[in-house]
Amino acid sequence: MFGKGLGKGLAITLKHALAMDITIQYPEEKPFLEDRYRGSLVYQYEKCIACGLCIKACPNRVLALETFVPEGSKRKQVARYTIDRQYCLFCNLCVEICPTATLYFSHDFELTQFRREDIKVVYLPPQPSPIVPAGIGGTEAPPEAAAAEPAPAPEEADKQPAPPPDTAEGAKRERQVEAMQAALTKNPQKILAKLVQDEEAIELLAAMLGKDTKLSSKLAELMIADRDKAQKLAAGLITKVRKASAAEEVKTDEPS
Amino acid sequence: MERLILDIAHLLVSWLTGRGMAPVWADLLLLLLQWGTVLAIVTLNVLILIWLERKVSGFIQERLGPNRLGPFGVFQTIADTLKLLTKEDIIPTQTDRWIFKTAPMFFIIVAVMLYAVIPMGQDMAIVDLSAGLLFFISVGALSTICILMAGWGSNNKWSLLGAMRSVAQMISYEIPLAFSLLGVVMITGTLNLGEIVKAQDKVWFFVLQPLAFLTYFIAATAELNRGPFDMPEAEQELTAGAYTEYTGMRWALFFLAEYTNLVAVSALMATVFFGGWQGPLLPSWIWIIIKTYLIMLVFMWLKWTFPRIRMDHLMSFSWKVLIPISLINIVITGIGIKFIQGMGW
Amino acid sequence: MLQTDEYTINIGPQHPSTHGGLHAEALMDGEIVKDVAVHLGYVHRSVEKIAESRTYTQFIPYAARLDYLASNLPCLGYVQAVEKLLGVEVPERAEYIRVILGELSRIAAHMLFVGSLAIDLGATTGLVYCLRDRERIMNLFEMTSGQRLIAAYMRIGGVSADLPEGFITAVEGVISDLPKMVKEYDGLITGNEILQARCRGIGILKPELAVAYGVTGPNLRASGVPYDLRKADPYGIYSRFDFDLPLGSRGDCLDRLTVRLEEIEQSGRISAQAVKDIPEGEIMGKVPKVIKPAQGREVYHRIESAKGELGFYLLSDGSEKPARLHVRAPSFINLMVLPHISRGGKLQDIIANIATLDPVLGEADR
Repeated sequence: MFGKGLGKGLAITLKHALAMDITIQYPEEKPFLEDRYRGSLVYQYEKCIACGLCIKACPNRVLALETFVPEGSKRKQVARYTIDRQYCLFCNLCVEICPTATLYFSHDFELTQFRREDIKVVYLPPQPSPIVPAGIGGTEAPPEAAAAEPAPAPEEADKQPAPPPDTAEGAKRERQVEAMQAALTKNPQKILAKLVQDEEAIELLAAMLGKDTKLSSKLAELMIADRDKAQKLAAGLITKVRKASAAEEVKTDEPS
Repeated sequence: MERLILDIAHLLVSWLTGRGMAPVWADLLLLLLQWGTVLAIVTLNVLILIWLERKVSGFIQERLGPNRLGPFGVFQTIADTLKLLTKEDIIPTQTDRWIFKTAPMFFIIVAVMLYAVIPMGQDMAIVDLSAGLLFFISVGALSTICILMAGWGSNNKWSLLGAMRSVAQMISYEIPLAFSLLGVVMITGTLNLGEIVKAQDKVWFFVLQPLAFLTYFIAATAELNRGPFDMPEAEQELTAGAYTEYTGMRWALFFLAEYTNLVAVSALMATVFFGGWQGPLLPSWIWIIIKTYLIMLVFMWLKWTFPRIRMDHLMSFSWKVLIPISLINIVITGIGIKFIQGMGW
Repeated sequence: MLQTDEYTINIGPQHPSTHGGLHAEALMDGEIVKDVAVHLGYVHRSVEKIAESRTYTQFIPYAARLDYLASNLPCLGYVQAVEKLLGVEVPERAEYIRVILGELSRIAAHMLFVGSLAIDLGATTGLVYCLRDRERIMNLFEMTSGQRLIAAYMRIGGVSADLPEGFITAVEGVISDLPKMVKEYDGLITGNEILQARCRGIGILKPELAVAYGVTGPNLRASGVPYDLRKADPYGIYSRFDFDLPLGSRGDCLDRLTVRLEEIEQSGRISAQAVKDIPEGEIMGKVPKVIKPAQGREVYHRIESAKGELGFYLLSDGSEKPARLHVRAPSFINLMVLPHISRGGKLQDIIANIATLDPVLGEADR
């Protein structure tokens, strides 16, 4: 009879209308990802032996590697490793060919960026800032990028031979430190807010830095190179200042 | 509760005449006020309806539908309206400007005119026309002209195709639409919608006139240009049919008018076949809202289930199936009336 | 007397139902189609030329982007062509994995076909149900390769990684649910009288015309020609499996739909057999580190993809990169019959015809 199929279709849609929804409400609920999910390509500096196989395997020239041979050594070191994610085909060929499992695909699939330059990820030796997205100018690594590649322990960083200071990298870094120090003397509160939360402590520290230029230059250098270390230094300074002032208070209290 | 709105109206008129206003002017003012209220309610109602349609389609498709703005996403349509309002008003250079610009306005005017005769509760029609049903059918047919204007004025092949389809479809479906209502008119002997509702105090015409209801339902879906008869838009074939060249608020006016038409036709269906405002316990004006919304839910359910009918099938379905059925219905009703009269019931 | 005239109307390349960048220029008399001309090239990415500047292995992800709706199948075709060129043996287990994933890809592509036909005819909800079920197969691809849509899983000599834990049970779950899914499509889409009226007797492709144009795949079988490369010229290990060829009788849009629905079940049958018989063992054959086929060697390898006969012609010049790659794209050839089957129909029939010919423009334009 005509209309039987129509009725059946209506019954099916009604059944689904009364059933629960099956969608995932994305930003709040994250989708389940399988182990092998290919989110974004991640590079681990400390494992890399600078063999360059991944560069050869990549079909779309996503990867780029710059090496140098430090003085007194025969082994090549990585000076700069670039992943231009916008061209990545997620084919896994580089991961499969890597002899030391330096490259892997993380589950981070939120790869959108506001600016095209930010898509490219540049990995530098851990001595200078661990990761500098190209194009930003390198004053600050965005927090996600910093989290993706935790800074190695300071002892390790010291062992790593730094690239010759006369290279463009070194000069650039020096400029950055200078700029940071200028900012510190000009507007200490704003810069220090990045290291310390306590407002009172910021005031104390700012006053201290104003007196001591040596200290401020050291802090500026640390802020460029290693944020964690700078934070520790700042915390240490604050406790020192507070102890001193507390002692003074005790002294002033005594006569009364 | 039942007479709440009527009491307000009477109070207003008596207050105005008490202040020395001539009764004619007071009545006219009341009429304008009623129109204004209807317009406001219709526009707000459309906001709810669009949200409802998206929710219904979402549920049918195992999604949630809009759920970001406000509780259950009720403010989504408001945000969409704001977006449409702020959009650039693009009028393509090759259009017939006046026809292009006025088409959406005429469309919405025609759609709102339909509400004049629908009894929104006991004695609550804005104009209690003795030929209310005739008025509704004839004004409803005018919307064809507006779609034709839009299609012709756009100077676009897709638009013209959509408009021509719409004209052919509306003309074919006017006939079964009117014929199916004739059965009810024969029983009640009146074209006044209030009288028709009162005639259903014992049994709804949906039971007495099942064939007429079926033909009216199908023809009304076609009249509304809703799926599976959404020929003038037919997104998958005609991109957006008659509305292809429209953007921003002009396009939104078409949308508004279509939903306004949907409410009007559903309200008429409730009035003619489902006892209008009659119902137990609740006040009459709530009953008609409930019935209208239930009918609209069915319309949405159909739209989100069925594929679109092909144009020539649509025409042959009207001329070869619906019109004969509605004619047979008239004959059966006539025989039935004569039979009952002859039996002396 | 009104003067009437014919007019042309451009369906696409920007149009809701042209499945990507297809441009069909229709000569119309009112709603009646007089002629259709198909213009292609809007998704042209010069894949064949790209192959000449990539090594044999590097081309695999590009092959997946040919027919992106069933990405494992073009990968399989390309990889097998290279293996033929090199004379590489593929381990048993890898062959079975390839069959399972290939057939799952076919099911996914056909599900999308059913859904896109439904939405092209105006039944939006049909698409959503098909996508919901296809999602389960996409999850299986994510399990194996980490990629959902464009899975570069095949490798020359085998597959990139062994099947993960729980994959076999997941596949069995999907296969056992296939009849239920198809029943739902039948109820909502195929059984619907409106859809039947729009598809029955529409766009009839006569078997002679289909063979003359080189139409292959489900479109050819819907016209009643029992030709499937899995049976006619078995590649890989297909000769071991037992399955039927669903055939149509009229060659119209409805046949093209029902043939694909039946193929979903047949592909499920093949996968079930493969899952049952899959042996343990290696997943990569002995492949030289640097792939350099002998100079002047050429090979043509064809497989039955979701759209039809997908062929890869490879010519080696002795270097790491192929001297020439040609893809015989079934979508491209199948599309060429569109004018023949659309003439004399209505405007709405063109949409149904495009949808049932099921072109994937990434492959047609290459």
